[in-house]
Amino acid sequence: MDQLNYNEQQQFQKIVEQKQMADFMRLYTSLVDRCFNDCVNDFTSEKLTDRENSCLTKCAEKFLKHSERVGTRFQEQNQKLMSQMRQ
Amino acid sequence: MSFLGFGSQPQISTEQKISAAEAELDMITTMFNQLLDSCYRKCFDKSYNTEDLTQNESLCIDRCVSKYFDANVKVSESMQTVGRSGVLQQKK
Repeated sequence: MDQLNYNEQQQFQKIVEQKQMADFMRLYTSLVDRCFNDCVNDFTSEKLTDRENSCLTKCAEKFLKHSERVGTRFQEQNQKLMSQMRQ
Repeated sequence: MSFLGFGSQPQISTEQKISAAEAELDMITTMFNQLLDSCYRKCFDKSYNTEDLTQNESLCIDRCVSKYFDANVKVSESMQTVGRSGVLQQKK
C-alpha cells in the first residue's frame, strides 16, 4: 500500500472509512444473531427472561473481548508474516 | 483495461492501484472475520457463566490465531505448487 501517492491515499482512506462502517454493522448484526441463537430458546413468553437477559449480556461482552484479543494477535502474526516475506 | 479498447497503459493507473488496495483490504477483512468466527466456535462453549475470557479461552484464542496463520501459509504453498505445475493454466 506504500506505492500510493498522497491523493490516492486520501481517496483510499475514504473507501476504508466506508468499509469500516459496513464492517461495524456486520459485526453488530452477527453478534445479535450469535447471542440470540445461543441464549434465547424458550418461547413460552414474549419477554426475555432474567436468565436470557444475563446470558445475552455475557455473550455480547465475551465476544467483544474475544474480538479484541484476536485483533491483537492477528496484528502480531501479520507483522511476523510480513517480516518473513521481506527476508 | 486494454480489453475495453482503451489501449494498454505503460504504468498502472490510479484506479487500478486503488482497486488493488481495496481488494487487499477486502481479503484481510474477510480473513479476519472468518478467523474470528472459527476461533470463537472452537474455543468457547455456550454456557456463558462469565463475561470475561477465562484463562483457558485466552490460551485457546492465542493458539487458534497462530495455527490459523500457519494453515494459511500451508494452503498458499499448496496453491503455488499447483500453479507452478500448470494444472490451472491447462484449462485456458
